[in-house]
Amino acid sequence: MVESKSISKTGTPPTLRLGFLVFVVLAVLTAVEFAFALYFNIWFLLALMAILKGGLVMYYYMHIYKLFEAEKDENRESFAYKLATNRLGLWFFMLSDGFIFGGLFISRFNLLGLTRPDVNQLLGVTVTSVLLVSSFFANRAEVSMEHGNRNQAIASLVVTITLGVLFLVGVLGVEWRIAPFGPGDGVQGAIFYSMTGFHAFHVLTGVIFLSIVIRNLVRGRYSAEKHWGVEAAVVYWHFIDFVWIFFYPALYLIGTLPH
Amino acid sequence: MRKFFSLGLVRGLIWQVIGTAFGIGLVTGVRALMRLPAWKAEPAVVVGALFGALFFLYGVGVLDDWLKWANGEETSDEEVDETGLGRRRYFGASQDHKVIGIQYLTLALILFTVGGTFALIFRTELVKPGMQFLTPLEYNTLMSLHGIVMIVGILIGISAFMNYTVPLLIGARDMAFPRLNAFSFWIAVPAGIILLSSLFLGGFDTGWTGYPPLSVRAPLGMQMFFLGVSLSSFSSILSALNILATVIRLRAKGMTPFRLPIFVWAAIATSIISLTATQLIGLAFQMVMLERLLGMGFFDPVKGGNPVLFEHLFWFYSHPAVYVFVLPGLGVISELLPVFVRKPLYGYKWVAMSSLGIALTGFLVWGHHMFASGMAEYLREPFMYSTLLVAVPTGVKFFSWVATIWKGKISFPTPMLFVLGGIVVFLLGGLSGPPNATVSTDLLLNNTYYIVGHFHDTLFGGYVFPFFASIYYWWPKMTGKRLNEKLGKLHFWLMGPGMLILTLAMMRVGLLGMRRRVADYDPALGFQSYHIAMTLSGYLVALSILIFFINVFLTMKRGEVALGNVWGSRSPEWQVASPMPVHNYDKPVVVVGEPYDYGLPGSRYVKFEGED
Amino acid sequence: MKHIFIIAILVIASTFAIHTGLSSIGLLPAQASAQAVSIDQLFGIYTWAIAFVFSLIVVILLYSLVVFRRRKGETGEGAHIEGNTNLEIAWTVVPLLAVFYLAYLGGKSLGETRRVDPSAMVVKVVAGQWYWQFQYPDYGFGSGDLYLPVGKQVDLQMTSNDVIHSFFVPEFRLKQDILPGRTVDLRVTPTVIGSYKVSCAQLCGTNHAYMIANVVVVSQADFQAWVTKQLATASQDPALHGLQLVQQFGCAVCHSVDGSKKVGPTWQHLYESSVTLADGTKVTADDKYISDSIINPNLQIVKGFSPNVMPQTFGQTLDDSQIQAIIAYIESLK
Ligand code: HEA
Ligand code: HEA
Ligand code: HEC
Ligand code: CUA
Ligand SMILES: [Cu+2]
Repeated sequence: MVESKSISKTGTPPTLRLGFLVFVVLAVLTAVEFAFALYFNIWFLLALMAILKGGLVMYYYMHIYKLFEAEKDENRESFAYKLATNRLGLWFFMLSDGFIFGGLFISRFNLLGLTRPDVNQLLGVTVTSVLLVSSFFANRAEVSMEHGNRNQAIASLVVTITLGVLFLVGVLGVEWRIAPFGPGDGVQGAIFYSMTGFHAFHVLTGVIFLSIVIRNLVRGRYSAEKHWGVEAAVVYWHFIDFVWIFFYPALYLIGTLPH
Repeated sequence: MRKFFSLGLVRGLIWQVIGTAFGIGLVTGVRALMRLPAWKAEPAVVVGALFGALFFLYGVGVLDDWLKWANGEETSDEEVDETGLGRRRYFGASQDHKVIGIQYLTLALILFTVGGTFALIFRTELVKPGMQFLTPLEYNTLMSLHGIVMIVGILIGISAFMNYTVPLLIGARDMAFPRLNAFSFWIAVPAGIILLSSLFLGGFDTGWTGYPPLSVRAPLGMQMFFLGVSLSSFSSILSALNILATVIRLRAKGMTPFRLPIFVWAAIATSIISLTATQLIGLAFQMVMLERLLGMGFFDPVKGGNPVLFEHLFWFYSHPAVYVFVLPGLGVISELLPVFVRKPLYGYKWVAMSSLGIALTGFLVWGHHMFASGMAEYLREPFMYSTLLVAVPTGVKFFSWVATIWKGKISFPTPMLFVLGGIVVFLLGGLSGPPNATVSTDLLLNNTYYIVGHFHDTLFGGYVFPFFASIYYWWPKMTGKRLNEKLGKLHFWLMGPGMLILTLAMMRVGLLGMRRRVADYDPALGFQSYHIAMTLSGYLVALSILIFFINVFLTMKRGEVALGNVWGSRSPEWQVASPMPVHNYDKPVVVVGEPYDYGLPGSRYVKFEGED
Repeated sequence: MKHIFIIAILVIASTFAIHTGLSSIGLLPAQASAQAVSIDQLFGIYTWAIAFVFSLIVVILLYSLVVFRRRKGETGEGAHIEGNTNLEIAWTVVPLLAVFYLAYLGGKSLGETRRVDPSAMVVKVVAGQWYWQFQYPDYGFGSGDLYLPVGKQVDLQMTSNDVIHSFFVPEFRLKQDILPGRTVDLRVTPTVIGSYKVSCAQLCGTNHAYMIANVVVVSQADFQAWVTKQLATASQDPALHGLQLVQQFGCAVCHSVDGSKKVGPTWQHLYESSVTLADGTKVTADDKYISDSIINPNLQIVKGFSPNVMPQTFGQTLDDSQIQAIIAYIESLK
């Protein structure tokens, strides 16, 4: 009984409508970002957009605020207490992981400056929107789980994974083939393939993680009160999206083509 | 025999062999399918080693529970009482932080011995000008391996400190994530094996810094170096994560931030660095691996790459790393001093904050390794200021130690000797730092033996001495027996002078212009006598370590039994009988006073729930 | 109070003792460049600072260890002192000022070493595994030794052929890494006539230890004489030209001409002699063999030496006439 009480303490679960609103805003911002890039390519405007989007994702989708709601003194063995500890662990992990991407990000600007690899713009926006939509569904899955709506959760996760796989196909299957340069061709090759590669690897792990969660959902291993597995997988998925929010402009939008 | 094969370690090793074979086969097969010449050593070996490590982890059994979870099965969080297993449990995937701590400790000592032995070998070569029994490549390989093995050994060693003591000091039952804890330890084992395998795969001649483009041309051993270090970096990242979560979530009742044992503050500061910065050395190394495997031109000027970028990525970790090496050591010094001078730690709050101060400033100073590297000119001065800034929080520690000893009632058992030795030696090392930190003087010192002297002093004073201090101090807690005092003191009185001669001679020749990382030197320089001195003192240190091993061996056989509060300490772990019970504290710990109120009659730090 | 007084005395005493000790043994190598001056001043300040801080800590430490040691059979605890905020602030702020002052001095002396003399003589330095080349664009020839006129600033424009190397002359106090694919410059003003060694200070592979060349600082007149000699020999006798190339391309790093064994076999009596190869076969060192050994060293490996040590690149960097000149030189050592 401790559990459900402490759950309700961490605020009533957010509604699906909120998730949808956030999604719309993100979509609009992405469109604006793209337009910016096309018409007047000012890097700090793009950076600003990315930070804005990142902030939204981190707050509403990854609900970072839950970290600070962890109640202090209560039974160490209770589910709620362990849940809070696990959240902390997950966030530390993502913080640490973030430094890898940060390093790649820095390297990109050190090596390419304000030029960008010559890649397919259309494909770029497509995969980006695919990932964006996927994280909307990921959020939907988590929220419906909190409301105890298991089937909706399963359905949403299936969509999420499909979109995730689509993203992989888009980047590894198509972009890597049609790109006019290979990993060995100049720094742009090195940077482009390493950044997309490292990110794609994380997407892959995310997909695996999510499919495990689905399997256990189907087997009814999670409940409205106890579904850390779902939450973790979803938050991790948002983290991957969060990274891409910065990689996308860095690889596709910021700067001019080298000539 | 059966028993033997049921040991996690053995199973892990067997699986590692299988995995390596599998990986090599995989690459060769794929290449064959792609109609490439099937056999290409480098990718095959790299992938092989990678799979070897993964299979090892499976074989040793640290993945079991996670696989169960993935399968939707529940696993109990109750620590299983393994005492039945006796010694055997130290060879398997235990989740008890005390067992893991001791496992870390053993691994650290092994690496320390191996790395040191490398040093003895190449030091012997340096006794005479001209090449005696090593080729230049062999020298460079041994020298580089000495460096990296010692450093990995340190990282393992501090994990040993922190894993064993932190949960005890904060009165927790175990770490926050026991499974992750086991994982962090066991990944270090295959990592170490891979690292050392470089010796047999052509070696590598880049030093522990592995700068490209040289590391792009180096023999295959280079890849094993990169892979081994990358893997072991996960070990320190994950155990840092664990420590932080543990300290934040599992402190005993009433243990407010400024009632934490001071060592825990050091552990926090260290873990902040390891958790974040470590990723960048992994990244930098993986980038070179990719450059070697796929020709990605990150650092290849011909392709527009930039070698200096590597140095930035590398040092962004590797400077803070040096504070990872020392902060726990300095923490141990602050932790043990009050016990042996029977006086409160002087200025607790400032000491606690100085750890954080060192850690955070440490993030802003990496450029001081690159003053001569040809990095952007305008970066030199800011890095000079930030670097010198670190002297301030470090100074705070020294002054507070001195003030703590002042008017104490000082006794000198072996741990105290190592603490004092650590203080003096680290002071030497520290004070040799600022001359490197000002750009103009560093233009002489950079890449000379002076630097080598500087960091052997800091490493010995900040890590080796405190490391042994805490071994002698917590040994009764770990085993219920007490290490022999006579041998302990002998160990100290051999190691101290030995390493002082070693490092002072290094600084001397360095100032006179002796380059580091040279397999041979011109007799005309007239440094031979110093080199002989260094080598001999190196052997002296080795001897002292040997004596330590003998001490351990004898104590295990028939050591003085010590079950009580040997040192009359106030901290919780000493309030219960040694060796520590499986569940640490049967009754939860409650903090009722200041940690170091020695000399305040009737005061207590902790009591146990239910007691009065 | 008594304590404090004694300690003060001791600290001062040991500070002076340490400082005199350090400065009497002569810590630094000879000083031979204008840039070195300000650097050495800073080192001077450091010897004082280190002597003082070290004494301060160690004296108080040892003093307490003796005075406050637990005597035989003595029981009880130490004084219960938890701290003193003013004192703690003091020992944070004072070092803070100290280090900022040091940093300021560092910046100042760095400025000194970077001072630019527009009339500086340019020397292009090319570093490679494992040789030094010095080209004098003003005169249009190269050399294996770095000849410098005394008292004149030289602007070394340095680049590397392969990996990172580092230009280091202890007597000049200066060091600068040399990066492939770009030119970094270093300015030196030699002030003392004499001969020094430039050694590579950045680990650059197997023979890093042997990557050393001569630095010869001479008077203006001698420098001119040397220049004219260089220009002359380049045209005349091929053997002399060969010698020049041998120095320029750093062969001398590994090959002696006095029979002594360095990284590579000596060239004394090499020409027309019979060489035993690693596989046991004997060959006579005729022109063909020698030029082969230069262009493609791994073709025949001399007994007692290992392949891949001698650079493979001379085939490209040397043209036929140059190789002929070198052979002529080796012949002259017959
Ligand atoms: C244990 C690890 C450790 C520690 C703690 C330190 C501490 C410091 N180190 Fe060191 N360092 C290394 C390990 C460490 N170092 C290693 C391994 C290398 C070589 C890497 C390689 O190239 O292989 C290196 C190299 C290195 C360099 C690069 C040199 C070069 O390659 O050209 C520099 C340059 O600034 C430097 C500076 C410092 C400074 C300023 C400190 C300061 O933190 C010291 C601060 C302490 C004190 C100053 C003493 C106590 C202070 C007081 C009593 C207060 C009063 C003092 C003053 C006012 C001065 N170190
Ligand atoms: C904790 C770190 C640590 C420690 C303890 C040591 C210990 C020693 N180190 Fe070194 N050292 C480094 C870290 C360390 N080192 C690093 C990071 C480098 C830089 C590498 C680079 O430039 O890339 C370096 C480089 C370095 C050099 C410079 C090499 C060069 O630039 O060419 C030298 C040269 O003298 C040296 C010497 C020694 C010696 C003689 C010891 C002695 O103290 C060792 C004493 C011996 C032991 C500790 C082992 C005990 C042995 C036994 C007990 C024998 C019995 C055997 C059994 C019981 C099985 N070390
Ligand atoms: C880094 C060391 C190094 C440098 C620099 C070097 N060599 Fe060598 N050289 C060797 C070694 C080692 C051997 C013996 C192994 C072999 O035969 O390849 C050798 C062999 C030779 C031989 C055959 C000698 C014999 O006894 O048969 C000749 C000729 C030669 N080198 C010429 C040159 C010339 C000309 C240069 C410069 C333009 C040069 N070397 C630069 C290391 C070097
Ligand atoms: Cu060139 Cu070392
Ligand atoms: Cu550093």
